[in-house]
Amino acid sequence: MNLLSVKGLSAGYGPVKVLDGIDLEVGEGEFVVMLGANGAGKTTTMRAVSGLIPRHGEVTFDGRDIHRDSPDSIVRAGVAQVPQGRGTFPELSVADNLMAGAHVRHGKAAEVRADIEKWFGVFPRLGERRDQRAGSLSGGEQQMLAIARALMSRPRLLLCDEPSLGLAPLITQELFAVLGRLNKDDGLSVLLVEQNANLAMHLASRVYLLETGRIVASGSAAEIGADDSIRKAYLGF
Amino acid sequence: MEDFLQRLVDGLSYGSVYALIALGLVIIYRGTGHLNFAQGEMALFSTYCVYQFGEWGIPVWIALVLGMGVGFAVGAVSEVALVRPISKKSPFAVFVVTLGLFTFLNWLDGAIWGGQQLPSSAMGSTQLRFPSLFPAEADALWNVFGVAIRQERVGILAMVLVISGLLYLLFNRTTFGLAMRAVASNTESAKLVGIRTNVVLMVSWGLAAAIGTVGGVVMAGLNSNVNLGLMFTVFIYGSAAATLGGFDSPGGAVVGGLIIGVVENMAAGYVQDWIGQEMKLAVAFLVILGVLLVRPSGLFGTAKVERV
Repeated sequence: MNLLSVKGLSAGYGPVKVLDGIDLEVGEGEFVVMLGANGAGKTTTMRAVSGLIPRHGEVTFDGRDIHRDSPDSIVRAGVAQVPQGRGTFPELSVADNLMAGAHVRHGKAAEVRADIEKWFGVFPRLGERRDQRAGSLSGGEQQMLAIARALMSRPRLLLCDEPSLGLAPLITQELFAVLGRLNKDDGLSVLLVEQNANLAMHLASRVYLLETGRIVASGSAAEIGADDSIRKAYLGF
Repeated sequence: MEDFLQRLVDGLSYGSVYALIALGLVIIYRGTGHLNFAQGEMALFSTYCVYQFGEWGIPVWIALVLGMGVGFAVGAVSEVALVRPISKKSPFAVFVVTLGLFTFLNWLDGAIWGGQQLPSSAMGSTQLRFPSLFPAEADALWNVFGVAIRQERVGILAMVLVISGLLYLLFNRTTFGLAMRAVASNTESAKLVGIRTNVVLMVSWGLAAAIGTVGGVVMAGLNSNVNLGLMFTVFIYGSAAATLGGFDSPGGAVVGGLIIGVVENMAAGYVQDWIGQEMKLAVAFLVILGVLLVRPSGLFGTAKVERV
């Protein structure tokens, strides 16, 4: 059964309609990549699934209809989003950012502390800066923090909105390696949105192509990668 | 020396009131970025309620706690019913809403407890006798280094320090405090980690008004009466305190309030000839102006610097 299933999803901002009936699915343990140019509606898709903006259509998570749920109950259901542009809490310390990420798990202080140490193990640079304000971190470190913060809620599905934005390719590689391991070793399902997905492609089990608010193509990474026009437009080789 | 100590203690107790109002302003500003012009009048309404509870024979400390409950409700309802729907349409309009709340609450106080209405209420409204929370009789004195200090003044300062300490613990040691700081820092991300931001904002307004109640009750106690104009100047001093301390810093609000209180009383006392009681208010404006010119984010405020 699919973990996340979206049917006929429409959303926008006021009178501006950005998404025009999107269908997509993420299976349990799958790593799904959504490609799209600037303004195609990738971020809007993420925000609509997370409940940050009003939306129409079916959104079910683990068989439960969540399309009317508030953001906090969607997090509680097991969906965590890494927003575009990191979205850390810049005035809070690194450790407090992670603690806030565990908001839905209150009452389990010991477990939460253990998780914080675990992510400091995965991202040692965050551990070195645990008492530093998040706003003073470099872009790459902030992205690591945003990912670790999302994982603090122990989600079953991680939504990742253009984590590579503004990062050096080497840092991006490092981040994707971590995401790949989480997917393979821990069975975390991932929906990753990217504009230029060279680095994400080899992680993907399936790929969707989004153009001006519609899904125009979908298939396995191999199928999409084999299509010349798609390769030129989105993969740049 | 004796004059100096007396003025210092007086300044600290009035400063405590400014600190409490400033704390409320800071809590709301951090959560929503709004300056709540009704902060002083919310406090005045619940202070009148405390007076009313006293009239019904309830001891003043219990009346204070009940009044804080009323204050909390007024703040929370204002946020849910007025501020939230309006700020969705236009954040700027919230400024007008809090001004409207300011005049409405003052009118309501006048309608219930009597007295002249705005704009002359500061001058001629009915003055209702108000009890002090601490021993305020002329002989309730402590001798400190040969200077007689009124116990009331010491009690007020101690109470404000205790409240500040409790707030510090709330902000820094509790899940809810962390949620408040997260909302203040980035509301959308706060939603994405599962924080019910609506609840946090509602409670923030309630908390701000409840703390303001303490400020109003202390001020009325210092004055020995409550009247419709009680909180006008206090609100201005409180704003000056928040500006001085930094609008996003609760600790700064307390320090700012105490500094303003002391500066005001020293100025009125020492340079009486050309400042005097009537011109004290100008001191607050000078402080606001000076801080804004030299250090716009206040003594303890954070200038927003962020690497991307």
